[in-house]
Amino acid sequence: MADLAIKDPHVTPVLVEGNPSLHEVTNDVAQIVEGINRNVPVQWYIALAITGSITLLLFAMLGYLVATGIGVWGNNQPVGWAWDITNFVFWIGIGHAGTLISAILFLFRQKWRTSINRFAEAMTLFAVACALIYPLFHTGRPWRAAYWLLPLPNTHLWVWPNFRSPLVWDVFAVSTYATVSALFWYVGLVPDLATMRDRATGLAQKIYGALSLGWRGSARHWRNYEMAYLILAGLSTPLVLSVHSVVSFDFATSVLPGWHTTIFPPYFVAGAIFSGFAMVVTLMVIARWAFQIEHLVTIKHLENMNKIMLATGTIVGYAYATEFFIAWYSGNPYERFVFINRAFGPYAWAYWTMISCNVISPQFFWFKKLRTSVAFMFVLSIFVNIGMWFERFVIIASSLHRDFLPSSWGYFVPTWVDILTFLGTFGLFLTLFLFFVRFLPMIAVSEVKGMMAHQQMHHDAHGHAAKDGAKTHDASPGLTPVTGGGH
Amino acid sequence: MIQITKKLTGKKYWRSLDQYYQTTEFQDWLNKEFPTQAQEMIDEPSRRNVLKLMAASFALGGLTACRRPVEHILPYSRGVENLIHGKPLFYNTVMSLGGSATGLTARTYEGRPTKIEGNPDHPASLGATRGYHQASVLSLYDPGRMPNVRGDGKDSDWNGFTSYVQTLSGSLGNGAGLRFLSEPMNSPSFTAVKKHALTRFPAAKWVEYSPIHTTATAQPVAPRIAFDKAAVVVALDSDFLGLDDTTVVAVKEFVRGGRKVTDENPLMNRLYAVEPQFSVTGAAADHRFRMKSSEIAGFAGALLSAVQSQELKVVGQGNSSADKALSAIAKDLAANRGKSVVVAGPRQSGAVHQIVHQINQALGNVGPVVTYLKPASDQTRPQLDALKELAGEMANGQVNTLVITAWNPAFNAPADLEFEANLKKVANVIYLAQDLDETAMASKWAIPAAHYLESWGDAVAFDGTASIQQPTIQPLHGGKTAAELVAFVSGYKDLKAYDIVRNHWLPVVGGEKAWKKALHDGVIRPAAAVAGSAAPVFDTATPAPPTGGYEVIFVPSWSVFDGRFVNNAWLQETPDPMTKLTWDNAALVSQATARKLAVAMGDVIAIERNGRKVEGAVMIQPGLADDTIVIPVGYGRTKVGQVGEGAGFNAYKIRTSDTFGYGGGFNVSKTGRVYPLARTQEFEYQEEPKLVGFQEDVVRPIVREGTIEEFKKNPHFATEMVEHPPLKSLYGDYDYSKGQQWAMAIDLNACVGCNACMVACVAENNIGVVGKEQVARGREMHWIRMDRYYTGPVDEPQVVTAPIPCMQCETAPCENVCPVAATVHSPEGLNDMVYNRCVGTRYCSNNCPYKVRRFNFLNWHINEAEVTKMVYNPEVTVRMRGVMEKCTYCVQRIQNAKIDAKVEGRRWLKDGEVTPACAQACPSDAIVFGNVNDLESRVAKMKVSPRNYGMLAELNTKPRTTYLAKLRNPNPELQPVTAAEEHHG
Repeated sequence: MADLAIKDPHVTPVLVEGNPSLHEVTNDVAQIVEGINRNVPVQWYIALAITGSITLLLFAMLGYLVATGIGVWGNNQPVGWAWDITNFVFWIGIGHAGTLISAILFLFRQKWRTSINRFAEAMTLFAVACALIYPLFHTGRPWRAAYWLLPLPNTHLWVWPNFRSPLVWDVFAVSTYATVSALFWYVGLVPDLATMRDRATGLAQKIYGALSLGWRGSARHWRNYEMAYLILAGLSTPLVLSVHSVVSFDFATSVLPGWHTTIFPPYFVAGAIFSGFAMVVTLMVIARWAFQIEHLVTIKHLENMNKIMLATGTIVGYAYATEFFIAWYSGNPYERFVFINRAFGPYAWAYWTMISCNVISPQFFWFKKLRTSVAFMFVLSIFVNIGMWFERFVIIASSLHRDFLPSSWGYFVPTWVDILTFLGTFGLFLTLFLFFVRFLPMIAVSEVKGMMAHQQMHHDAHGHAAKDGAKTHDASPGLTPVTGGGH
Repeated sequence: MIQITKKLTGKKYWRSLDQYYQTTEFQDWLNKEFPTQAQEMIDEPSRRNVLKLMAASFALGGLTACRRPVEHILPYSRGVENLIHGKPLFYNTVMSLGGSATGLTARTYEGRPTKIEGNPDHPASLGATRGYHQASVLSLYDPGRMPNVRGDGKDSDWNGFTSYVQTLSGSLGNGAGLRFLSEPMNSPSFTAVKKHALTRFPAAKWVEYSPIHTTATAQPVAPRIAFDKAAVVVALDSDFLGLDDTTVVAVKEFVRGGRKVTDENPLMNRLYAVEPQFSVTGAAADHRFRMKSSEIAGFAGALLSAVQSQELKVVGQGNSSADKALSAIAKDLAANRGKSVVVAGPRQSGAVHQIVHQINQALGNVGPVVTYLKPASDQTRPQLDALKELAGEMANGQVNTLVITAWNPAFNAPADLEFEANLKKVANVIYLAQDLDETAMASKWAIPAAHYLESWGDAVAFDGTASIQQPTIQPLHGGKTAAELVAFVSGYKDLKAYDIVRNHWLPVVGGEKAWKKALHDGVIRPAAAVAGSAAPVFDTATPAPPTGGYEVIFVPSWSVFDGRFVNNAWLQETPDPMTKLTWDNAALVSQATARKLAVAMGDVIAIERNGRKVEGAVMIQPGLADDTIVIPVGYGRTKVGQVGEGAGFNAYKIRTSDTFGYGGGFNVSKTGRVYPLARTQEFEYQEEPKLVGFQEDVVRPIVREGTIEEFKKNPHFATEMVEHPPLKSLYGDYDYSKGQQWAMAIDLNACVGCNACMVACVAENNIGVVGKEQVARGREMHWIRMDRYYTGPVDEPQVVTAPIPCMQCETAPCENVCPVAATVHSPEGLNDMVYNRCVGTRYCSNNCPYKVRRFNFLNWHINEAEVTKMVYNPEVTVRMRGVMEKCTYCVQRIQNAKIDAKVEGRRWLKDGEVTPACAQACPSDAIVFGNVNDLESRVAKMKVSPRNYGMLAELNTKPRTTYLAKLRNPNPELQPVTAAEEHHG
């Protein structure tokens, strides 16, 4: 992984361009929140009006669903799960990149993460929020499912959830992931919230002040902060791997051909990272253009993310091939048919969409020219997102629609409610994002500045002692507190 | 008893003389809101008072919200004998359909019939039923039933009709202009009424008509075939296992005679079916040959000459496989003289029936297997002749008064008789209407007909056994019986159905005690003598139907019969056993014919002959005769209740008297429109569909089948069809060796796929009806379904059927995955479903390899009429939306039986003491239920049969429902049938 950041240890990458001063970096980020001359750009309001309306559509759809029944969706016998769980896994998968960037790349000392981690973590939280809608609302009686899946002591029946059910494991895995991700994000925000507090006036100052938990930037604060951050990173790392592994158990532990396979946990995790990075690229490309922070989120960052997409996309493609091989090699006729049916049956169009988007398209990132082209990567990241949605749809619907007894075979067609609900989750996701960029610093200012100090130091040293290049990378950014208060 | 009337009528009670005389004081008193309790406010309104009043009103207004809605309770003013609240009472009764009587037992709760079972003592039931009988209880509560008397197109009442009849009877004279039109008579008391009526009006005429069951004989004679005595059966266009017999006798005897194969002495009868449609009889056949209807006569003739010639080799030495089949069939028949039978279906002409009779005579089967009985009806001429004559008289104005007790002739009479138009030429048409149908609209008077569960009557079974039709509830809409109406019109005022029936039978049975016994038993013994002529005369005068062009075959519908069950949602949603079509009929064509017509499934075609045209959707069914269109009749009603509205198309529009059974000369054209059809099973084969070139041919071992020879060679052939690694359970196995362990065994060799189990299950378990659109989406709710698979060449397929209830797996995949433990295992081996714990994740359904779980996607009861709710079984929860449900093995019956046993001090139930609804209804006794730990039980014995196998048991589900593999008994001379061989007689 370290290679992704630095190919040649003697050439230091430039992670912040234009060599801005620390104060300029603070200004660049904070002014997005404060507005230019304290005026919020009208584009933000327009965007919020659009995404807000779509969010309201989501609530309307959910209201209609709860009032009428699951029948408003296209789900049927035998396709008991369709877009609902597809969307759940899709959003959970997207939510993987944030914690991966924050935690795993942190532990691997990948400094380029600092410009994108806040953004990616926010994306994680919002994606998990969208994902959580589905496990609740896909049930026939959400007013019961809301608490019957939790291990709450109860007096009227004295029954616990069924701990053999992967859905209960899901509840634990996803809720833990959501909690730790939120904590991690919040802890990372504290120094920057203090910066905002120091720059703000009036009510905003009070709110930022409360949220920054009395941060003063003292050495002791920094020491505790860095330790907490490190611990949370350590906690989050296994969660990144576990949450999607557990989600994959929903399928892997069933008897259904096409689901019942041991390859699922690693395959799902790779797919989740793949889709998560694709979503970060999609959103980051827009954000760095919209807020003119190209010098903070550089092509180098984007290229690194593209490399990860190339790696995980190839892993995913390998997993597809392995599934097919095992289906043939196992000699299980049901398994074999499911895969033939996937590729050549009624859902072949979905399968080949998935293959084109997930396996073929990331291969273009072998070419440096393409993986450093902002326009190209933007289009390709959208393709990957489409492909990863289809991967979940193919796994769920194409396995369910033709299982053991041909008498029960069927086909799933989404209804308008299915479509609008899914659209609505994008509305919620983007609305939360708009609030995020409006009210919170979307780039981890303190971390970027910490990283800049290294860069600066390195630049200074570079001309004299190029051989010291690797050494600076051993230093933790946390050990060089540079700034905390506002300047 | 509960009665529903439109408005409260009856005696009026007065509170005082003031009320009686409607004095002003009384009116004032009545109009005061609080007559005595409250002082009226006489103060001048002040601001303070107004505010006080408003406050008080608000407080009181809030209080009213606490009130429960007012419900009226009708207590029993006198206790009903034997009634214990919550416990059912059973009454024996009888139902007639298409002229055949089936003895039934109605289960009632607090005076409300909810379930029909067969009466084991009745010869035409023997404890089993058809789906129609099961669903008939829903028709009782049909909100679309005729609610009141209608006269001259307006709502009226019985009094209005009485005064009308009084004026009418003066003008009837000797009855020269009076005609009666009834269904085929099988009611002795109604026959007595008929005789009285014809005595009173000697010039009147009585016509019997059924659009389905016709006789081919020229004299009153009914062939009775003892299928249990036949080792070889040749069915020529005869669906005797299906709809050509509305009773279950043929199925019972056929299965008992040679389909219940024992392991020690494997013997099977052999069934050849030669037919244009693909009936369930064809599905059960060991050899089935498709053949156009018009060619059946030729085939029968050739078969006759083959069996008559002493030297069989003379016939059938041609090169075609048809000749070979014919010769082999003839040889097989000749080898089984006196224990074989050839039967022809009701669609075939009298001439064919005569040939069939001659074949049976030549083989010595008349007597041992075929006997001719005297039918209950004394109609002496072919029914269509009489009906044609009636229509002619109506057109000529010779008919002044027509009393119709037959069901809806304006809809179902042959189209060339223009019955609906001719009805308008009759001044006085009195119609006994089930609902406000086509005939009711064209009649001067329409009288609500009493359902058989709400009125007295009687019916005679095929063997002369009479049964009293005992009501279980007061007529819901004040309906009358056919006998009551005819008696009333012919001058017997206020003669109740009860009196008609009782007066008829009391002298016959000999006294009150015998009458009570007859009611209790549901049968009157001894049966009347019914021996008929040994040399029946067949109707050979009626010319054979026209030939050429496309042949259209008119068959009854599994769902609506002749159309009378169109408003019955249970039947509409039960798929046709062969086509799996719900809520509609279709023009069924073979693959070759579809190619010729260039049509696909759902394309609407126009079928036309002599200017009569109907448009309907095409369904392609493998195995039909080419250039043949099979159409189930009874759909396409124009005046019908909510349920049947818009269902299918009306085949009666092109069914004329010369093409009554079938007929050629039809032109078919494409309309270009497409009509959606909703089927419960879209995939017809156990073979995997061939999606790509490198795919191997895999036939899934789901419904396992072998020949009797294979079975003799290797009794374990069925279990050996699947190889699997050793099975191990992740969570360990529960010890099921103790206590009563419920299990089911289904003999696929006995099942004919008649769907009776499905309807019985719907009735017993309050299963929701979802409607056509939801069926198309795949959301039907049946707890037991009938899987049907084609095997063999696509043009000459064979069919296997398998009822699929819940397998009650011992290691159930559904149970592991439920997050809230809403589906759990009982110590008696049942996979229990806890509705009120279910949150509806549908994970269990996804993980069920048999896909027998059913989810309430929507609230299926949202538009249900109040009266329909009376049909529900109070023992079973009506499920809300959002929860999963599935077969419980009728756990409510198990619990009731256990309670009864406990009261008697027994711990174990006796074998047969509890029977699930499906097993009880099954005409072929294919479904057997019991305790596997009771080694003497029938189910335990079936489970040790080498034919016994668990469907998908290789998944380690340990299913409690297992199957006995299907067997066929092919003629060694005739196999194998390959696609290259064409069979045309």
